[in-house]
Amino acid sequence: MKKRLIALLLAGTMVVSLAACGTDDNSNSTPTDSTESVQQSTPESTPESTPESTPAETTPPADASAFAEAPMLADQVTAGSLPKVEERLPVKDDVFVDQTDAAGTTLEIGTYGGVINLAGAGGSWGLSRPVLEGIIRYNTDGSYYPNVIKSYEHNEDYTVWTFKLREGMKWSDGDDFTADDITFWYYMCHLTNYDTKKSWAALKETVDGEDAWAALEKVDDYTVTWTFVNPKFPADFIENGDFKWCWAPSHYLQDLIPDSVYVENSYWEKTGLDDETVLLNAKAKGIDAATVNDLGKAVCYYWWNEDGIPCLNSYVLTTKEGNNSRDAQLCILERNPYFWKVDAKGQQLPYCDEIHFNATSEDGQDQLMFRSGELDILEVAMQDISSLLTDLGDKAQLRSFAGTNWGSYQITFNYTCKEANYAELFANSKFRQAISICVDREQVSGLLSEGFLEPGQCAPAEGNFGYDAEWENKWTEYDVDGAKALLEECGLVMGSDGFYDFADGTDFVLTIFTYTDSGADAAFPVLEQYYNAAGIKCATKDIEVSAFDQEIDNNDWYAVLGPHTAVGGLSLRSRVQPFVPIAQSAEWYGEYGTYYGTGGAQGVAPEGDMAKLVEIYEQWKSTPDTEERDQYTLDIYNLHKENLWTVAYLKAAGAYNLVSTKIKNYPELLVSDDLYQYQNIVHYWTLFKTE
Amino acid sequence: MEESAYKSESMHENAPKKPPLEALVDFFKKDLVQYIVKRLLMFIPTLLLISILVFFVIQLPPGDYVSAHIAALASEGEIVDADYAASLRADYGLDLPVHEQYIKWIKDIIWTPTDSTYYRLYGSHHNWKYSFAYGRDVWDVVNDRLGLTILVTAIIMIFQYAVSLPIAVYASTHQYSVGDYISSIIGFLGAAIPNFILAIVLMYLSYKWTGNANVGLFSQEMLQNGVHLYNFGEFLKRMIIPIIVIGTSGTCGIIRSVRAQMLDEVARQYTLTARAKGVPERTIIMKYCFRAAINPTVSGLGGVLSSLFSGSTVTAMVLNMQIQGPVLFKALQAQDMYLAGAIVMVQAVLVVIGILFSDIALAFLDPRIRYSGGGR
Repeated sequence: MKKRLIALLLAGTMVVSLAACGTDDNSNSTPTDSTESVQQSTPESTPESTPESTPAETTPPADASAFAEAPMLADQVTAGSLPKVEERLPVKDDVFVDQTDAAGTTLEIGTYGGVINLAGAGGSWGLSRPVLEGIIRYNTDGSYYPNVIKSYEHNEDYTVWTFKLREGMKWSDGDDFTADDITFWYYMCHLTNYDTKKSWAALKETVDGEDAWAALEKVDDYTVTWTFVNPKFPADFIENGDFKWCWAPSHYLQDLIPDSVYVENSYWEKTGLDDETVLLNAKAKGIDAATVNDLGKAVCYYWWNEDGIPCLNSYVLTTKEGNNSRDAQLCILERNPYFWKVDAKGQQLPYCDEIHFNATSEDGQDQLMFRSGELDILEVAMQDISSLLTDLGDKAQLRSFAGTNWGSYQITFNYTCKEANYAELFANSKFRQAISICVDREQVSGLLSEGFLEPGQCAPAEGNFGYDAEWENKWTEYDVDGAKALLEECGLVMGSDGFYDFADGTDFVLTIFTYTDSGADAAFPVLEQYYNAAGIKCATKDIEVSAFDQEIDNNDWYAVLGPHTAVGGLSLRSRVQPFVPIAQSAEWYGEYGTYYGTGGAQGVAPEGDMAKLVEIYEQWKSTPDTEERDQYTLDIYNLHKENLWTVAYLKAAGAYNLVSTKIKNYPELLVSDDLYQYQNIVHYWTLFKTE
Repeated sequence: MEESAYKSESMHENAPKKPPLEALVDFFKKDLVQYIVKRLLMFIPTLLLISILVFFVIQLPPGDYVSAHIAALASEGEIVDADYAASLRADYGLDLPVHEQYIKWIKDIIWTPTDSTYYRLYGSHHNWKYSFAYGRDVWDVVNDRLGLTILVTAIIMIFQYAVSLPIAVYASTHQYSVGDYISSIIGFLGAAIPNFILAIVLMYLSYKWTGNANVGLFSQEMLQNGVHLYNFGEFLKRMIIPIIVIGTSGTCGIIRSVRAQMLDEVARQYTLTARAKGVPERTIIMKYCFRAAINPTVSGLGGVLSSLFSGSTVTAMVLNMQIQGPVLFKALQAQDMYLAGAIVMVQAVLVVIGILFSDIALAFLDPRIRYSGGGR
């Protein structure tokens, strides 16, 4: 009964998201806040496709003194240790008024105070997910609007992009945020590769066959321009998922940049510091680094993990010893007193005083803590939802994130396998069809997901851009005899042991790689039964993930269950690599990707449809027109549908959060994706807590 | 044969009744100093061998920190290019042959000159290198948890010995009594139930009964403000589960071995003789039998120092105790080899020192044990 209820809920979720996302992947840069004085001239902002999620326009409080602040900050103002709230916020017209959540629902006006308790922060990105403020921000329907910057615009031929900043906006330590912080980031942190991310495609182009970088110019304190030689279209610039920020606190980082990385520019001079001095300066600021490269990565890239570095986020890592590291058992983020967003009533955000990350060392401990009220928000696995909700009654509510993956339990093959007979077999679509139809998906759904995940194929989920019912059901009809016939058409011959051999009599063994904790190790025994029944002899190799990646990179593999970089996702904008073989990244294109990733120096040159993918991608990249771009995306999707280089057996899982009913303003239905920075789409600064 | 030797020795040792302090001084004066010096010299080759073993074993799994790190980033949605991986390897010296990496590692640990960046940064002559996973100096990471680990393990050990020794003595002097059976049953249960299961069950019961699972040693409040007198009670409350879980399993082992030894000793002729001579029963048990019976327990103390340092890994993880064990586990998982290497090395050093201590203690407890051969 419970399961059915949840299934219904999920189905409802899908329908709602479908209804809301009619124009998904249709990049509408509709401003959400009324302070947008500059209208974007991008073709994406055509009003006819304005999604429903666009909030109603309201104006900020007419009287600047109407801004309100948290009591704890008001106390500091009274004590004289903090400037008044209107001095801390940007000028009135440039304040960001946050009125709707990412799904378009109008936010409740909240009350100040309290702590949001989360589970452990996890990896390098953990602390940034709930609080990172990017250049632009997305709604769940794929529309986006300027966030940290006030506006962006481009010239007619897309060679010059102009960013306008919010006047009077401040870093979390009170220092002014100006165009200098952008030139500093670009010329001192990024082009120096001090942040180790000079590879960002958004700022790069090819001129005369060589890599070239945009020229950044400071027009005035609140305006900068990026100039390219060739047209730089939105898809490859403002919408590029990697291009999340373009600023760094020059006043804080200046004594941490060594001369050894300096590149010539007209804005910043050499700091005159050698490597060791920089390391010593860092040590004095409490930043531990063994090499300047480590330091650069820590302060220019993963800066949210170091306490003391000023930022523009809603919450800032505390400087309190013992709680100021993501590895601490209790890691604390404190409210940014200079945060530049207010609610519709002019109250400065965030509402809650702190976010606490409570690290646990074993699965299940966080659930115990959620049960006893020590955690307010917890990501849970599908299977745990019903028991937790039953026990907790009205103390918790379920919040779903629609998944963007293309199906669960994906199997893919090495099309560039070193052994020619295997490579040839995998390349034959009849083989993949056989692998797909020899499995009884209904039964697999019951065995592997307790019926939660429905049978499906490796295709965009309902509600996502490019959804195609025919694709979702392609090769899903269970038919063992049909599979055997297909295998024979591929030239395999039934051997005396009841398993197929290659035509030349050599053994055919499908060795399937999985990596530990991917969940695929549990799926193998189930799938093995079906493969065996169809006459396919299999073996499995479950290895630790880094060793797994190594084997893939070395091209020492045959098939993979639960690939590390799965095919598909939300859209090409989010990440191109999962859709197109352009990097040494995903298993489904193996060495073909390496070929493009290394500029043809290594890997295998693709042919046929694999090569076509890259051709279409090049066209996709160089068109400013949204509709045309969508058409290219669909062309790429069609090639995937045609070939099914990866086969999936069940539909994709979403993500599920249990949220304490004390937490308000948590959106009903979200989408979990890298482009949206996963948990970032919750908008933690708008959450408030009631007792 | 052995018995007669024992008798002559013990008569010889115990005949002139010296005050205990003087006996102790005497004991150290004899061949022991020579023995200790010899043992200390032996440390050097032993530890070098151990270090080689440690370094190479940690390198055994395929891949290295960089590949593990990139895999972790990939699962967070970040894609890392091959150039970056190569530059990381070059930075950390992971592209060197293993033996060169080893020599660099051990040389810096033994002595980092004053004229080095490391010395100027950390003011230490022993560079244990950098923990990739924590992004900090290895020794800082180890040091962070050291105090807590020693405190927790010491409390648990004191509990173990304080509970098990009296029970063992009682059980052996009241063999086959109801008390003996009860203590045996409890002890066996403690040893038979895996620690992590017991921990989960207790946490669940704690949640059912008190509404709080007591996950971890500290409440949120303590993690922010530290442990002080006013919240020490709460801390002790949170220690209950770890003590029961880790304590009971160790307790059983001690009870069984001491009980068995005691039963042996109680039946010996010297006990009968003492009893016949009218020595009070209490003196016989405590002064003679018990002293002989704890011999194996004391020789097992060699590992105590090392376990004080690392704590109990699996149980600590299940109970979410932030002590050294889980750090080692994380380091091994992330292939953070310098951190893992440092922890394992320190453990090895402590085992070696611990064994020396337990040997000295044994010699004091049991006069039959001598170090300079042929003295008897």
